[in-house]
Amino acid sequence: MADLTIQGLTKRFGGVTAVDDVNLHVADGEFVTLLGPSGCGKSTTLAAVAGLDRADGGRIQVGGTVYFDAARGIYLPPEARSCGLVFQSYALWPHMTVADNVAFPLTLRKVAAAERKRRIDEVLALVEMERYAGRYPHELSGGQQQRVALARTLVYRPAILLLDEPLSNLDAKLRDRARAWLAELRTRLGLTTIYVTHDQIEALSLSDRIVVMNGGRIAQIGTPQEIYERPADPFVADFIGTTNFLPARVVGDAPAGGRALLELADGQRLEAVAERAAPGGSRVTLAFRPEQMQVAPPGTAPEGGSVLATRVTSRSYVGGNWQVGLELAGAALRLEARQPPAEDRLDLWLPHAGGILFRGGADVAA
Amino acid sequence: MSLAMSRPEAPPAPPAIPRAAPIQYGTALLVLVLVAGPLLPVLLQSVLDGALYDAEYNLTLANFARLARTEGFGLVLLNTVVLAALTTLVAQFVGTLAAILFGRTDLPLARLMSEFFLWPLYLSALVLSFGWYAVYGPAGYLTMLWQSVLGEAPWTLYSLAGMAVIAGVSQAPLAYIYCLSSASITDPSLEEAARVSGAGTFRTLWRITLPLMKPAIAYSAVLNFTVGLELLSIPLIFGDPAGITVLTTFLFNNGISSPRPDHGLVATAAALMLAVVCFLVWLQGRMLGNTRRFITLGGKATRPRPFRLGGLRWPLFILAALYILATVIAPIGVLVLRAFTAFLSPMIPLSEVLTTGNFVQIFEYPVYSRAVWNSFVVSLVGGAIATALIGLVAIIVHRSEFRFRGALQYLALFPRAVPGVVAGIGFFYAFALLPGLGFLRNSIWILVIAFTMRFIPAGIGAVAPMLLQVSHDLDRAARVQGADWWTTSRRILLPLMRPALVGCFTILFISFFKEYSTAIFLFAPGSEVIGTTLLQLWVQGEVGLVAALATIQVAVIAVCVAAVRGIFGVKLHG
Ligand SMILES: Nc1ncnc2c1ncn2[C@@H]1O[C@H](COP(=O)(O)OP(=O)(O)O)[C@@H](O)[C@H]1O
Ligand SMILES: [Mg+2]
Repeated sequence: MADLTIQGLTKRFGGVTAVDDVNLHVADGEFVTLLGPSGCGKSTTLAAVAGLDRADGGRIQVGGTVYFDAARGIYLPPEARSCGLVFQSYALWPHMTVADNVAFPLTLRKVAAAERKRRIDEVLALVEMERYAGRYPHELSGGQQQRVALARTLVYRPAILLLDEPLSNLDAKLRDRARAWLAELRTRLGLTTIYVTHDQIEALSLSDRIVVMNGGRIAQIGTPQEIYERPADPFVADFIGTTNFLPARVVGDAPAGGRALLELADGQRLEAVAERAAPGGSRVTLAFRPEQMQVAPPGTAPEGGSVLATRVTSRSYVGGNWQVGLELAGAALRLEARQPPAEDRLDLWLPHAGGILFRGGADVAA
Repeated sequence: MSLAMSRPEAPPAPPAIPRAAPIQYGTALLVLVLVAGPLLPVLLQSVLDGALYDAEYNLTLANFARLARTEGFGLVLLNTVVLAALTTLVAQFVGTLAAILFGRTDLPLARLMSEFFLWPLYLSALVLSFGWYAVYGPAGYLTMLWQSVLGEAPWTLYSLAGMAVIAGVSQAPLAYIYCLSSASITDPSLEEAARVSGAGTFRTLWRITLPLMKPAIAYSAVLNFTVGLELLSIPLIFGDPAGITVLTTFLFNNGISSPRPDHGLVATAAALMLAVVCFLVWLQGRMLGNTRRFITLGGKATRPRPFRLGGLRWPLFILAALYILATVIAPIGVLVLRAFTAFLSPMIPLSEVLTTGNFVQIFEYPVYSRAVWNSFVVSLVGGAIATALIGLVAIIVHRSEFRFRGALQYLALFPRAVPGVVAGIGFFYAFALLPGLGFLRNSIWILVIAFTMRFIPAGIGAVAPMLLQVSHDLDRAARVQGADWWTTSRRILLPLMRPALVGCFTILFISFFKEYSTAIFLFAPGSEVIGTTLLQLWVQGEVGLVAALATIQVAVIAVCVAAVRGIFGVKLHG
């Protein structure tokens, strides 16, 4: 196995910079997820590692082998690298049976017939598809195809494994099962893996580390906990978990790590912990997860938080809970509650700690 | 678990010599030679004062002036344009009408009639001309019948109008196919809207359906005009005896039949023709870009509700049936009948003249049987070779990182702009010029080479759409797993393209089997094919043998079309 180093990777399509100066190191055996909205350059990054697209700049190295180095004009064609890539579409060859699909990379490596058969059996058993060896891809369900695609990649023991949204073509139920299966498999294999997804749950539950991408750039790299609890910017906060944003202004200078007094557009005030110093008068955005916000019983003000008056804009039953839409100083918030609010007004309790204070306005797409 | 924690394997050892570059450059070079080979001599000869193969010559533009001054050349050009224009008119009128009638109305037996309507597409204009001659010619079956009852027949095929009718009928299927695939026929919503708002059948047809077909009509009109310019057989059979010369017959008569050919003049006329057709093909390309928006792909859209013809249903049916009978069934039927008789006349009972003598004669004379045999070899072997080349070109153009793949595609499609006669003359010069190729000159391989060049675009047209439908992920997956470009092409792409390659081979087989316009410039004793022998026999007045040979051609093509459509379900047009 091997580690992967990506330095300054840049890929342009015409005027569009699909991948913009990406730097990343994936340790030997580490499972790293590229997470981001559709079109943010995840697949392009994978394609550059696999050698399917020649990048415009940067350097890619796996173990001791330089795959690509724009400066030195090095570019290994995909067949000379040792990557395993599972495509979003699975890309099983329709004219070959499952066994033939899996045999193909072994035939290329001139593995002797007996050894080949042993390895095919072994890898099909690993993905629990041994009974389907004689089937053609179109005779398999989506989940089964995905397993065969994985088997076809594992069978030749690649130096790194690249998975491009492998679960996105499965329906919701199947996806949960496949995710659990994949999580179990990855601990058993211990392969250096880059996993691409736009699904935060997959990313959070599978990864050692997550790389959040936005518009071809890396927005944040960190463990799932770091990403979830301390997002680097409103984009990451919004992308990981539903997040509510409150634009506000700082009243009086706030020291780093201390309390900041904030004023909303409608004059209501609240307190929040500021990780970094915030000068008085500056514009900030306060972000909260829905589970951090609570309904304050009328007339009370529980300790450790601020109570704010809001207007109820919508209520919908989402099974067990109610999702309540609120308007606070021009910002739209969403709240989960056991009971639907009876009135059009609601007092909202926001904790002093737990929210995240970002500098500047929140220009996150709602 | 040995898979887990195992050391990664090295990628497969690369082949000793990298294979992609030699194959890609080799193919591109081959196509370049095939396409440029015949064109350069023509262009060069058109600016030389002597013959290309003379020891000495000078560059000159005098040929152009000489051509312009040649007596009657103005008339030749006029005839050419008039014939092409009339042909287009007939083809567009008939084709559009048929598309609406067979494609959009509740006409009885519409499917069956559309099958017959397409027949001229599969046959050569040469065979169709003989059929028309057998029915409507001076000694034709219907002409004689008419004369015996009503006196002098009021038609003649030996005129520009007569020729345009034959050519128009044989090219109407092109207009038909394009109109059928136009949006108005496959996308019902626009018409439905008109009908819902209360427009009647004919009003909707006239105000909605027809205008929406306009781009298809315009595009196929340019296509048909181009084909009309390149017509050789019809003017040769009906124009020459009447003293009506067009550009193709001018080239044929001065270049081949003439004992002392004027090479400068011939090449200049050929170059002129090449330039005009190039322009028209360029125009087609421009128009197709605009037409795409109006043409839906593949006919997967739902068939809209057909228009009710009401009281006109049966009268229109009779009219359509008469048309099919008069233009397709009668000519082919009478031609076949003529093949099985010693003499065909409405005055003599059929039973007295029935014979297989014509066929016996064809198979007894080595010259004739050899032509049939040669046609088979050229079509089967040549078709297979050409299919292989075309498959390779398609893969390189659409599925490789070859640096010049754009140029290769352009080059491979260029023969669309090279008329058959020009290609014939060009290959004739090329083989006369190049030393060491003499052995090819008198063999059928020169035909294989020339036919391949002519029909590369048709083959690409059959293969490329399918290749474009094969997901890129399939070959990328193979590359990542360690297969180089060539292995990927062989093991993944070619097997997936199999149906398209079968379709391509069939199209090439039929095209090679009926081709004559290039061949008449190139064949030699021993390398005759059916097309060239047909023309020779025609000149000798052996109508029975012509009919028999034509019947063989029709039968082979019919079997071929039926087999491919039945077994493989491959569509041969559209
Ligand atoms: N072959 C291509 N040609 C042009 N633009 C492309 C191509 N592939 C990707 N792009 C563009 O690059 C950007 C990143 O694409 P991609 O890496 O596929 O995104 P993701 O996988 O994150 O959804 C997108 O804006 C996309 O439109
Ligand atoms: Mg993607």
